[in-house]
Amino acid sequence: METMTGSLKRIAVIMPARNEAAAIGGVVLRIPRQIDSAEVVPIVVDDGSTDQTARIARESGAYVVRHLTNLGVGAATRSGLRAAQVLGADVVVTMDADGQHDPTEIERLVRCLVEGPFDVVIGSRLLTPQGMPASRFAANLLLNAVTFLVYGKIVSDSQSGFKAFSRTALEQLELRSSGYEICSEIIGEIYRKELRYRSLPIKAVYTDYSRGKGQHFLNGVNLLLELFIRLMRRV
Amino acid sequence: MFVIVAQVFSVVLALVAVSKSYVDFRARLESLSMFLFWIVTWTGIVAVALFPSLVDLLLRSWGRGGAGLGTFFGMGLVFLYFVVYRIYVKIERIEQNLTKTIQELALRDDWVKRR
Repeated sequence: METMTGSLKRIAVIMPARNEAAAIGGVVLRIPRQIDSAEVVPIVVDDGSTDQTARIARESGAYVVRHLTNLGVGAATRSGLRAAQVLGADVVVTMDADGQHDPTEIERLVRCLVEGPFDVVIGSRLLTPQGMPASRFAANLLLNAVTFLVYGKIVSDSQSGFKAFSRTALEQLELRSSGYEICSEIIGEIYRKELRYRSLPIKAVYTDYSRGKGQHFLNGVNLLLELFIRLMRRV
Repeated sequence: MFVIVAQVFSVVLALVAVSKSYVDFRARLESLSMFLFWIVTWTGIVAVALFPSLVDLLLRSWGRGGAGLGTFFGMGLVFLYFVVYRIYVKIERIEQNLTKTIQELALRDDWVKRR
């Protein structure tokens, strides 16, 4: 197998998590600890959990950054990105902590990023939507349209939490979102900063547990309002 | 009938707002001047709701006869929109500051050593 360039020393995998004690241990343990010669470092950002998420994540081998109170997935992602920079990561992967994303696909995202080369690789569930509940598929299409309206960029899965970022992208991203609107904001930053990006088909795992997590329809309404306000501020 | 319902609703809402303000004042969560401000404001709103012709009387006494209730409520709406805008800006600022504080605390913690 062709190896990646020798310049990659550390890959950080960030998982924003809130009350994911049931799933986080399994997710962290399945993350590979090495990809070619690069060390893979899991970082769990505990966003004000009231269960044992932080302890389980730490015992499973992850670094844990703890928010004293719940700030939102956007704020947790931003904390994770900063933590990755503190650790000197060359590549950062973000993924969900509820088991929806398959950790074995991290290597595919990273290889695509490095070999492209791209600044951002977005794991797209909508390119392989088999198994996705119809309501989620429709909601994601709608949010893609809203993201395009606000940021002028069409991507196949704007709300995907499974992404890989190069160090260049990390240094250029200026993110302010606290909630789920961060996914759309990242798309906007890709467009504004003219970052090279690619969508890669990934499989999403929909269990009863993961279906109960993530964005609900009411979150979608809130997201629309947040993005509308951002649009008004840009005009 | 609808007018009567609207007037009763205005009075009830005013009573709720003033009593809440009074409770806050007694608990020293609100200053006397703020409490008096809300009494005057809500009294004015109830007066206009119960006696809409007061607005014409007032405007005529200021030499602005003919402007009417519509103008008065239009100005009121603009003022309310401005207040909502200011509240939104303050909340957004507080949220950003809170997020920044919590994040700084989280990243100052010895998370790197405690793996």
